[in-house]
Amino acid sequence: MVMGLRRFTERIGEGAGEPILDADNGEELMHVQPGVAIVLGNRAPESVGTLYITTKQVVWLSDVEKERGYAVNFLSVSLHAVSRDPEAYPSPCIYTQIETEDDDDEDSEGSDSECNTLDLSKITEMRLVPSDPSQLDSLFNIFCECAELNPDPNEEIEEEHNWIFSADQMEDDNAATDGVDDSECLLSENPANPIGYSNGNHDLARTVLELQINDQRFEDAEEMDRDTNGGH
Amino acid sequence: MLFFSYFKDLVGREVTVELKNDLAIRGTLHSVDQYLNIKLENTRVVDQDKYPHMLSVRNCFIRGSVVRYVQLPPDGVDIDLLHDATRREARGG
Repeated sequence: MVMGLRRFTERIGEGAGEPILDADNGEELMHVQPGVAIVLGNRAPESVGTLYITTKQVVWLSDVEKERGYAVNFLSVSLHAVSRDPEAYPSPCIYTQIETEDDDDEDSEGSDSECNTLDLSKITEMRLVPSDPSQLDSLFNIFCECAELNPDPNEEIEEEHNWIFSADQMEDDNAATDGVDDSECLLSENPANPIGYSNGNHDLARTVLELQINDQRFEDAEEMDRDTNGGH
Repeated sequence: MLFFSYFKDLVGREVTVELKNDLAIRGTLHSVDQYLNIKLENTRVVDQDKYPHMLSVRNCFIRGSVVRYVQLPPDGVDIDLLHDATRREARGG
């Protein structure tokens, strides 16, 4: 399932335009960033190209060499970050780590990078250096947004649980101990909840609060803390 | 869902996220989503000799599926609350 970095050459038109996307599977272009140099692993920066961020992948296409391009699925992007420390890298950039098939071999990249043959499937790091560093924060946010659109297919939180709920049910459930579990599960019904916004989720705060309240009100008779709470 | 709720309570705290590739990143927990994707701010790599280039990235998004451990601030762990919450989760599951 993990694909790592791969070559990408499918362009619209006579090979000069935008990447051809998998529209049949709902892939959409989210952002185009011209003037971006790409750095693979420890290699030297490649000539400037254009970055295309889609709902499924990151595509970089060279402006100069029309047959040169790379792509990586968001599923393979383990981590992305804004790097501005000149000691970390001379140019401000988006730093990404890419999950590869065999992570054990990644330490050998030091020797690989000296070779002329480039094995993309072994590349574990990619830097994207925009000519305009002020774009870094917005690029980072677009990366976040798109990464959240691509949870792992075998995620524990699956919709097949078929939690059924309504607002009324939620109110009722909150009155009972058993309901606390159900109301917690409401969150799984909202898979598109992006990371930045989820923290303002008042429902959750309320759920947690009620959880605590219920802790005091509904203790289980068989539990060990009988001695602290005294007789009934 | 339990850990999602739990981590959200730790927003603003210093945590260390250890990845499955052994990289450990320390930073302020900015946010977490239901896939346990984690955003850190003011990050630094714990083992800087091994990963010198990761020195002080400002903000960092970590895919939930690559996280092995999250080290929590000791005073951010309410054992009684966790104890009850896990018991409820087990009973409800």
